[in-house]
Amino acid sequence: MAIEEYEHDSLRCTRCSFCKWIPWESMRHPDFMQGCPSASRYNFHAYAAGGKFNLALSLMKGRIDYTEGFSDAVFRCQMDGSCDVSCKAVQEIEPLQNMQELRIRCVQDGQGNPSHMLVIEGLKKEDNMMQAKKADRGKWAEGIPVKDLTREKAKVLYHVGCRYSFDEELWPTARAGLSLLMKAGVDVGIMGRDEACCGGRAYEMGYLGELIKFAEHNREVFKAAGVTTLVTPCSDGYQTFKVLYDKVGQKLDIEVLHITEYIHRLIREGTIKFTQKVPLTITYHDPCHLGRLAEPWVHWKGKEVKVLGQMIIHDPPKKYRRGANGVYDIPREILRSIPGLRLIEMYRIRESAWCCGAGGGVKEAYPDFAIWTGAERLKEAEAVGAKAIVSACPWCTRNFIDTVKETGRKMDVYDIVELVSQAV
Amino acid sequence: MDLTKDAYGALEDIVGPENISQDLAVRETYNQVWGNKLVFDEKWSTRPAAIVMPGSTGEVQAIVRACNRYRISFKPFSSGFEIMSTALASENAIILDLKRMDRILDIDVKNMHALVEPYVSVYRLEMELAKHGLYIGTISAGPEAGVIASHCCHFGSGTTQVYAGGLGRNVLGCEWVLPTGEILRMGSAEACNDWYSADGPGFSLRGILRGHSGANGGHGVITKCSAKLYHWYGPPEWELKGSPPALKRLDKVPDGFKAFGATFDTRDDAYDALREVGQAAIGFSVWMLIGGEMCEGNDEFWEMFQKMDPAEMQRLAQSLLVVIGANSAREMEYREKCLRKIVDKWRGHFLPQLNDPMYLALRSAVMLWSIGTVRETFRPCGEFFITPCTDATEDMIKHQNTAMLEGIMPYVHKGAIMQPGASPFHLPYENYSVGSHIESIFMFDPYDDNSLQGVREWTAETFDPKGKFGKFGVPCLGGGLQIEPVSHVVQNWGPLYDNYDVWLTKIKDALDPNNLGDWSAYVPPVFP
Repeated sequence: MAIEEYEHDSLRCTRCSFCKWIPWESMRHPDFMQGCPSASRYNFHAYAAGGKFNLALSLMKGRIDYTEGFSDAVFRCQMDGSCDVSCKAVQEIEPLQNMQELRIRCVQDGQGNPSHMLVIEGLKKEDNMMQAKKADRGKWAEGIPVKDLTREKAKVLYHVGCRYSFDEELWPTARAGLSLLMKAGVDVGIMGRDEACCGGRAYEMGYLGELIKFAEHNREVFKAAGVTTLVTPCSDGYQTFKVLYDKVGQKLDIEVLHITEYIHRLIREGTIKFTQKVPLTITYHDPCHLGRLAEPWVHWKGKEVKVLGQMIIHDPPKKYRRGANGVYDIPREILRSIPGLRLIEMYRIRESAWCCGAGGGVKEAYPDFAIWTGAERLKEAEAVGAKAIVSACPWCTRNFIDTVKETGRKMDVYDIVELVSQAV
Repeated sequence: MDLTKDAYGALEDIVGPENISQDLAVRETYNQVWGNKLVFDEKWSTRPAAIVMPGSTGEVQAIVRACNRYRISFKPFSSGFEIMSTALASENAIILDLKRMDRILDIDVKNMHALVEPYVSVYRLEMELAKHGLYIGTISAGPEAGVIASHCCHFGSGTTQVYAGGLGRNVLGCEWVLPTGEILRMGSAEACNDWYSADGPGFSLRGILRGHSGANGGHGVITKCSAKLYHWYGPPEWELKGSPPALKRLDKVPDGFKAFGATFDTRDDAYDALREVGQAAIGFSVWMLIGGEMCEGNDEFWEMFQKMDPAEMQRLAQSLLVVIGANSAREMEYREKCLRKIVDKWRGHFLPQLNDPMYLALRSAVMLWSIGTVRETFRPCGEFFITPCTDATEDMIKHQNTAMLEGIMPYVHKGAIMQPGASPFHLPYENYSVGSHIESIFMFDPYDDNSLQGVREWTAETFDPKGKFGKFGVPCLGGGLQIEPVSHVVQNWGPLYDNYDVWLTKIKDALDPNNLGDWSAYVPPVFP
């Protein structure tokens, strides 16, 4: 695909600005109606998905070239997909895909983001997005007697991803997730230092080639390991393995589950039982990559046809990804089943959730913007009376922890795995 | 063209470097809006020289003064979502994006008015007002429509006007930065710093502020507006449930309201009943069905459409949906009784399929808050247009509707345009039955030559004062009236109606001696 594939969509963008807001049907509170962090923070229309349609169209028609404002608008964006949900509540065009292709075009034309380039250099050398040494990748699991899938066989691969592998403050969560599986008797193993990046974050930065490279590598490695299921506590990784690999023709032939899905399965089977109270009043933050971005990829081949004069339909009918089929209920069911825990919902939830701020390479290139976005989410958590915010993704957790530190807000931050561990 | 260094520097000093851009790419996102293909024959209108985002009235005033100093045209907008919203008559022009001016400044519960800045949307204000048992009339342009844009600057109508009246009539004062940079506060806001009346002392300026179709930014910048509020009978908050968002709905008609679907044997009977609902002052929101149903997508719509019985669709097009609200059971009983009598008088029926509680819950949400979103108007074919669009007596509207249906059908039959129902969009305009309003909405694909040509021909037919539709009144669509293919509307129609074109140009000249308020969606001081 390329931006040219979305010319029709660019032409049909009406400038309604729905992409800046959550869908009106989902609005619950006048202070929490905005959906796009980028347009909310930087105001100019260029920062909204509608503006990106304009930029793409004008670029492909030769009306403009790359400018500072162009790059800023394209890369100061978490690629969180809120715009996509809002747009597709009313339209049949693909703002997020256009934005993705616009980034890919920037990279192809040597107009990638300089901070991202540094990260990608590290990725190429060390197979991770954290600018860390590959040799240190397995350290998070030191001391845990878990199978090493480079030498042993297991049914389940526990893949923690780059953030958990190198962010020491988050290691307890990564370890807790593994321990939960092992205590439940799951035949699980890890790749240790040979675990590689999924490639998803690089793709969001515009590096399509990196995604395909890691997809091909991981497919081979997973096949060689003989695993039947991949479980990850990283929502980014989950979306990449499940959705993006399929999108680029590298669909994995194993089951891909987020750890919440696997834990939920174990709870239903009775393997995991909650015995301890966790007396907290929390709110749950839907990670974008576990929610609206985690819908299965839809491969549609067909043609547009017109009926009733000018109405555009598809032959065969096309099912749009509108954000409704992400993993929303499972984390909530887990949290509600923890004794003593009180779950309060924020105003923007599920497919209309506000982003944590970390995605799309923003954490790496524009840390102040990541913190601003995170702070907006914490305000919402405070507004509903939560004492803690719980997520299911290390990128969200990291950014919320940083936001609390930087802003001095009083909000505890947890990953759902931590709370499950406390409750068993 | 670029601004001179001095001019840019002057504007930058006013708003700060974060709030101005003359980056070519950023400017290119302020000249693409729906309707451009129809009007300009391409996606783009004139590229502005810069985008400026003021944060206060003081900044707006300073910007306008700088524009006078450097002879730069300017055009303000809030959401910018309207045909001609980005159009500029000159390259030497800036756009004032008023997004930063987004405060609800006051809600006067006792005196029932709210003071807002330009980027406050109708739906946001409605959510805030509901906490106080108050409501503001809606425009059928979707939830993001601005309060100031719809009340002070542009023409629009809505299903709740049967209850809350015409939006232009609900202006209780405004703060207006004139094209010279002077600040004008209308009515009581100037006299006693209170915002309860837009009239006096002396002549009222409300007609000049908006006229019928709005100046669309052509005569200055409205920086504050006080809007009249009405009682809200419903709950302080609500939640629509379901997934995806397009399928979200209320699980019941909100407490404090009842909804009904009434079907009539003829369209004329439906119109007469509609008029009487207005006369009886019992309706909160009324809507004449247009045959279309909301679906997740076009494919889903088509699937449903194919299963529909054409006779049944025709009956739907002769149906009214009426939402009534009341503060007490007795009041509700009275209003329901009135409605039933009216429906009975005009031989109407309450068909089960239109009175299913879940159906009414779905419909009542859009009728209370947000009818006319992109889903219904843009998604089917790409764009929509409205012509004829007229305010007149009920009888005139009925005649026009009949004539319009005959006129538009050839274009429907040759596939140029889509009109999913058999009837145009039709609303009673005021709550006292002083008149009625018709909007013939149809959908088309601007990037299909056959479709575009058909729309242009139909528009030319309805906008021709000497044509067969001429006798039905001035085309009243706001904006776009000076640009091909609907050029010279004001000049063509003015002589037929008290030379209003001359008055308009005189007003423009008096308010804007340097002709710096962009006139592309208003009138120039001298017609080119």
